[in-house]
Amino acid sequence: MPDGMSVAEARPGARARSLGALPRDGLLLVLLAIVPSMLGGFWIYGIGVCMANAVAVLSVSFLLRYGGEVSIGQSFFLALGAYCVAMMEREVGVSVVVSLPVAAVVGVVLGLAFAWPSRALSGIYLAVATMALALAVPELILLLGPVAGGYEGLYVSRAPLVGVSVDLQRYYLPLVALAAVVLLLAHFRRSRQGLALLTARDHPRAAEAFGFSRGYARLAAFAISAGIAAIGGALLAFAASTVSPNSYTLWTAIYLLVGSVVSLGSLGLFGALVGGAFITLVPQVLASWGDWVPILYGLALLVVVVLGDRPAEALTKLRKRLAGGRGG
Amino acid sequence: MAEAATLAAERISLAFGGHRVLSDVSLDFRAGQVTGLIGPNGAGKTSLFNCLTGLYRPQEGTIALGDMRLEGLAPARRAREGLARSFQHVALCPDLSVIENVMFGRARLGRSGWASAFLPLPRGRAEAADARATAERILARLGLAAFADDMPASLPPGTQRMVEIARAIVADPRVLLLDEPAAGLNAAETRHLTEALRALAGPDLVMVVVEHDMDLIMEVCDRIHVLNFGRLIASGTPAEIRADPEVVRVYLGDPDD
Amino acid sequence: MSAALQDLLPLIWTGAITGCLYAIGALGLVMIFKATRVVNFAHGNMAGLAAFVVYAFTAHSGGIGWLAAVAVALAIVVALALVTYGVLARVSERSDLRGTIGTLGIGLILQGATQVVFGADIVNLDLPVPRWGTSVAGLRITSYDVAVLVVTALVVATLFLVIERTRLGIAFRAVSTNPFASRVCGLNLFAVQGVAWGTAAGLGVIAALLIVPTTFLSSTTVATFMLQSFAAAVLGGFSSLPGSILGGLVVGIAMNLFSYFVSPELNSTFLLVLILTALNLFPGGILPQRGGGSRA
Repeated sequence: MPDGMSVAEARPGARARSLGALPRDGLLLVLLAIVPSMLGGFWIYGIGVCMANAVAVLSVSFLLRYGGEVSIGQSFFLALGAYCVAMMEREVGVSVVVSLPVAAVVGVVLGLAFAWPSRALSGIYLAVATMALALAVPELILLLGPVAGGYEGLYVSRAPLVGVSVDLQRYYLPLVALAAVVLLLAHFRRSRQGLALLTARDHPRAAEAFGFSRGYARLAAFAISAGIAAIGGALLAFAASTVSPNSYTLWTAIYLLVGSVVSLGSLGLFGALVGGAFITLVPQVLASWGDWVPILYGLALLVVVVLGDRPAEALTKLRKRLAGGRGG
Repeated sequence: MAEAATLAAERISLAFGGHRVLSDVSLDFRAGQVTGLIGPNGAGKTSLFNCLTGLYRPQEGTIALGDMRLEGLAPARRAREGLARSFQHVALCPDLSVIENVMFGRARLGRSGWASAFLPLPRGRAEAADARATAERILARLGLAAFADDMPASLPPGTQRMVEIARAIVADPRVLLLDEPAAGLNAAETRHLTEALRALAGPDLVMVVVEHDMDLIMEVCDRIHVLNFGRLIASGTPAEIRADPEVVRVYLGDPDD
Repeated sequence: MSAALQDLLPLIWTGAITGCLYAIGALGLVMIFKATRVVNFAHGNMAGLAAFVVYAFTAHSGGIGWLAAVAVALAIVVALALVTYGVLARVSERSDLRGTIGTLGIGLILQGATQVVFGADIVNLDLPVPRWGTSVAGLRITSYDVAVLVVTALVVATLFLVIERTRLGIAFRAVSTNPFASRVCGLNLFAVQGVAWGTAAGLGVIAALLIVPTTFLSSTTVATFMLQSFAAAVLGGFSSLPGSILGGLVVGIAMNLFSYFVSPELNSTFLLVLILTALNLFPGGILPQRGGGSRA
């Protein structure tokens, strides 16, 4: 069933596009690097969280792009990464640079374990299972007991570098990690595994005929996505300096999907930042109209799926129709 | 490299919920020959083809490539034994350029691990460069070099079909299974395909073509198997098949009807 | 009768009663999936909105009466379901993925709308049945239990009669087996699919109105409850109507036993394990049926 197309992506000229994005991404990185010297603490904190969320959004976009699947359970892997950082700091006394790789590995392993039962089934089973996964997160955290800090959660205070402002580290670590994840994913796109996953997404039978079973593709795409989500969670814990069960609900997972869809499923730096910023800043801006946030997010999802994978084309069509209407 | 072996199907029977599609079919496909598999609609040729590729599991019978038994193996596992195929409905990945689609045909041969997938490690880079060079060579051999960096959707159907064939042969298969390669092609494209298929035949390659286009089959194939109502009714050279009264009756209709 | 059995029987009974409601929710999910290949993640939000509508029309003096309020709620929800179907029909034809994301979008909008209109209050909404109860062989049976059983029996009987005996039912079965073939046969695909969406939304409202009396009504109660229906549908193979009824009963009883004997604080985790186990052991559902599987 070749229905795995991702929500949105420009099809032609993939190669030319990735080259064209380089100068823009470079400029963006330079801009982000000098932000702390231009803006105040509020912005440094906010953009730091945006960048951590951008990594989390990338995990959803990766699964959309390479697996052709929707996950609304990424909050589980986010929480996994976040609690990995907080609990390792509390129990072992290590900082995020040690616990982040651990989080990534644990994320991949649990991602494999979770995707295993539905490896040979249609993606809808995976989507329903991810919903159950997301709902189980808060009670699983509470099950861990005092080690995980209960309802109040834990504070993440240890910084990797001594003698450098902790606030700056909470900004620059997510920046470096985001850039690294984007670069790793760009390399993955050209790897043999990347070619295999993309082919399996559109034509599972063709992928099978060339040695890659459906189960392999499903497990690989989900495990990598889970690993990225765990990294995002680790960064989020460090950037926001706290973890607590109510930050990792089904809503968190759905909002990550919103971020991914709003960024049109992009795996690039700019797109990921747009997605991360959307889900970080919109609730802040609309703080006093909190009930409107889900409505806005829901509309955003609908607009993208209805306009389809070529929003630019759809807009042109719409404009033409409006112009035609005026003329007639 | 690839040693010559015969692909043999013996006493294959296949049924779907009581409906018999193949009955006791035994035939072989020899290395160095292009073998055609033909028959009227519903004769069971696609079903047999799917048994060879592993999509269907026959209830009875064996399929072997040389000494290697295949009937219990999943399609992905058969690829490792040297089977490659094309699809009746073009199954190229629309997000990959032509050369990337062809490189995917070799992906399973790669030995570099997941670290190389994410990091530019020397081993993975060497492997990728090698895969690209091989893909370029195959594209050039099929006259497709100019399209290497195009996206499949921008190409005419005939060219897409040739790209699929390039993907199938890039890993140097022992068996090449072509599922209606001429479907949807115009006369010029079919002409080009016929020449390309002739040029692909080699002493060690088992080549199987399922096709409706009789002209193409007669021109390309060394041997032809004819199926009707799930049974093998004739095997032989194109000349023999043309002269076979039973085949003529099946294809032209019984004059008494 | 041993002590364990004395505990067990009432637990199974109440579990089965709740399971009936999960089954009604699951029937709706499966109908929509069979007719349009869309997993409706907005199912719970739609039904939750309906429960609030009923509450709003009946809670205050000068209300319009329970039945009238339910009729209004049903009308609103069926209209919403048809709009959802209208928006997503074309989209989901191109890929399931978009259908799924689309229903999540609708779910978010309805969730937000419920909060905007009705606030974050927690309210009570009872069934208009007299309070009554009796003991049969040590089992306590209440008027609520009877109401649930009667409604479930009516719903299931009507649904299966319609599907097995009417032209509409034949059309539904044809569409769910092969949408392309049924279009060729001259069936009005859109009408059949629309009816499926509308019926499913109505089933969701029935389930919501029956579940809310056992707890309370907040903007998330029904959506959370619907997760059990999703589990029931998965257990049933997601494309089998009888399977989803059986799945509902299994989920209801298993959850009740688990929260009594193990822990009520790990319900969602238990549900997750149940879903993953079912996918592993019964990939085609606990009642596998020919040609009904949705394995890609």
